[in-house]
This record gives sequence, C-alpha cells and structure tokens, in this order.
Amino acid sequence: MSIASLLFSEYRRRVLGLLLLHPEARYHVREIARLTCTTPGTLNRELVKLANVGLLHREVSGKQVYYYANRTFSIFEELVSILKKTSGLIDVVANTLATLADKIDNAFIYGSMARNTENSGSDVDVLLIGNIGFAEAVAALHPAQEIIGREINPKVYQKTEWKKLVDKKNPFVIEILKNPKIFIIGDENDIK
Amino acid sequence: MKMTLNNLVGISLERITPHDDTINRLLTAAERNISDSKISAVSVENRFDAAYKAIMQIANAALQANGYRTLTSRPGHHQTMLQSLSQTLGIERQTAVILDAMRKQRNIADYSGDPVPEGT
Repeated sequence: MSIASLLFSEYRRRVLGLLLLHPEARYHVREIARLTCTTPGTLNRELVKLANVGLLHREVSGKQVYYYANRTFSIFEELVSILKKTSGLIDVVANTLATLADKIDNAFIYGSMARNTENSGSDVDVLLIGNIGFAEAVAALHPAQEIIGREINPKVYQKTEWKKLVDKKNPFVIEILKNPKIFIIGDENDIK
Repeated sequence: MKMTLNNLVGISLERITPHDDTINRLLTAAERNISDSKISAVSVENRFDAAYKAIMQIANAALQANGYRTLTSRPGHHQTMLQSLSQTLGIERQTAVILDAMRKQRNIADYSGDPVPEGT
C-alpha cells in the first residue's frame, strides 16, 4: 500500500491532487470528474465534504458549481507538499492523459514507482494500451515531467498487440502482470 | 544563455573540417537504415534500431556539415547529437522531445530486453 492511499481515499487523493496542486484554477464538478477520471456522483459527495471542512471553496454560478482550493486553510501548504511527493504523481499523469482519454483503454504505472522501490532518480514507467501513437503519448506526458520532477517513460501498445504478447506469454508482459501496478485508466482485469 | 554549438566545444563537441565523403557516407547509411526499418519480416526491435540509427546518422551528418563532431570519449553523445538537431536542422522542440524519448526507449530495450511496441 502506498503512503498516499494510506492517508487519503482514492477519490480524495485525486481531487486534492488536482485542486490543491492547481490552486489558481476553478473547476466545475464534471470538469473535475473528467480530469481525475472519476465518476461525478461519488466525486460530488467527496467535494461537499472537503468544502465543509474548509479545504475547498465552493461557488455557485448559474447552474454550475465550482470548486477551488482554499489557500488560507491552516494546513494548505503542508498538504500540497504531501500531495506533490505522493499522489501528485498519479493525478498529474491522469491529468496529462485526460486529453487523450477517449483513445486510451488502459493506463497504468509499473516498475519501481508502483512497487514503491523508487529512488530519487527513478523514472516513472507508464504503460498505455489503446489507439494512440508513441509520439502523441510522449508529447502529452512531457509537461508532467517538470511537475513531478521525474522523467516519464511511456510504452504504448495497441490493444491487439498487447493481447498477442499476453497470449504468447511474453516475459516482459508476464512480469508486468504479476507485479504491482497503479491504474490510472481501467483495471487489472482489462489487461489479462 | 542560449546553447550554441560553439559553446559545447571542448565539453561535448570538437571542431572539424567538414568532408563531403564522410557526410555522404552517413547519409547513404541513413537511407539504407530507413529502408531496413520498413522491413516487416524482422522484429520490431530491429526495425526500431534501424530507424534510430538513421536518426543518429542524419544528426551526425548535419553536425559535421556545420563543422563539428561529438566527443565520443564523453558519455551522453547520443543526447548531444539529438540536441544539436535544433541548431543544425532547426527541428521543433516537440520533435526533439519525441526523439529524446526514442533514445530512452532504446536504452531500456537494449539492456532489459523489454519488447519495443510496434507504434514506437
């Protein structure tokens, strides 16, 4: 279990990662759902809770409800620091992939970051399965490198290509399947 | 300070007199590698390798045509070669980012045996 998931639930982690690491931005609920790859219903309950304790500001404008970080919250800076070092990673990667989300069937982090054996120089290994090109993935993920302070190494497979490797029991794929992963889009069952 | 090729002399580059023969040889090899990279009978790894070699040869040819070559005694000369492309051939930043990602993929594939995906 990662330290971030010990501290915060999955949704809370993603929401705080987005809003607290982008405190200048104001988002409406559906936007947050899209950017964090979460479903609006559960997300909404989470947002209400966070606004009730004062960590987020809530603003109603017309039919839209907007949320944004409360920078004057007593432990705002501390939370930002924790998020940056922990779950900031997943949220940042999920955010940068949001623009390509409809082309990606599965996205997950594998390797040392997923196993929690990374050191300060470790890259973030990201595997994407879907109808997307390598250059496209590199271009999309590039800005995230600066935010998380690590290099991101994407590997991009078409769905049929991945399936073939699974069927052939390719050693690289087998290793990925049996080792820890942090899913951003989809889950373990989709990739077997 | 903007990185110019001249700033890198003695660090990762050295000055040379360009030779047409050398440049021609590199470009011919690059062409050969590009056509090799399209042969679907061999593995994706080897096709990727051929394509990557072609990029290096083109970068090297452009660098030499400008009167420089990389100091191969220093580590990271592939990276230097790729970085020089923005100056020698005026490639865009986005393209440079992608080429650098290919370099990293190749490093990983070379020592870990990870399969290179078809799209790469």
